[in-house]
Amino acid sequence: MLLIRAIVRPEKKDEVLAELSSAGFNAATMVDVVGRGKQKGIKIGGMVYDEIPKTLILMVVPDEEKEKVVKIVLETARTGTEGTFGDGKIFVSPVEEVYTISRNTKGL
Amino acid sequence: MKEIMAIVRMKKTGATKKALVAAGVAGFTAIRVLGRGKLVTDSKTLEECRAKLLAMGMDDFTDAGDTEKLVTSFLDGSRFFPRRLFTILAHDEDVPRIIEAITRANRTEYGIGDGAIFVMPIEDAARVRTGETGEAAIW
Repeated sequence: MLLIRAIVRPEKKDEVLAELSSAGFNAATMVDVVGRGKQKGIKIGGMVYDEIPKTLILMVVPDEEKEKVVKIVLETARTGTEGTFGDGKIFVSPVEEVYTISRNTKGL
Repeated sequence: MKEIMAIVRMKKTGATKKALVAAGVAGFTAIRVLGRGKLVTDSKTLEECRAKLLAMGMDDFTDAGDTEKLVTSFLDGSRFFPRRLFTILAHDEDVPRIIEAITRANRTEYGIGDGAIFVMPIEDAARVRTGETGEAAIW
């Protein structure tokens, strides 16, 4: 199992989640976060904004589904054809064990 | 060293905290998240939930159609519900105990929506106060 953490623009989250859901990945957790990237935030006038609101989407998927999920997020979370600074990042990390509480079983 | 991520019902935060203390692991980080699970296909469970929710939502002021629409949106899997995400750092040997404690505290009779637990490996940890690293930083 792999944990996929995707940091996306808040205005793109609905589109990303709808696309994931229609591809069969309904389960997800999301949380509103703030952050900055390589560009050290954005400078507007004399003001530097380095706590830019983003949405963090957490998903745990079987190893073989990783490519599919990552591709969907990459395609739907991008703004414009070339993409723009601030479109977000995806991190993938290993998950050793998964338990579902309601069924008291191991696995998704 | 393991990181345990548990997503539980908001209402079960207290019970989960108590269960963790009883299991001998008091430390955790918790945040408020929104979550949804995989699509429920078991029609019997769905019907039961639907009947229960409809009975709750019927009163003299609300339009029956509105209630029905709302209940449908609750059950078709597209809606996100508030949940609490617990992050717990633990020694390898404590993991089964913690999982057992969280599971016992969070199971309900509803059969769906009780949450999930993920166990992930952690490379290293550090305690800011003392500068200790590795296993010593957890407890």
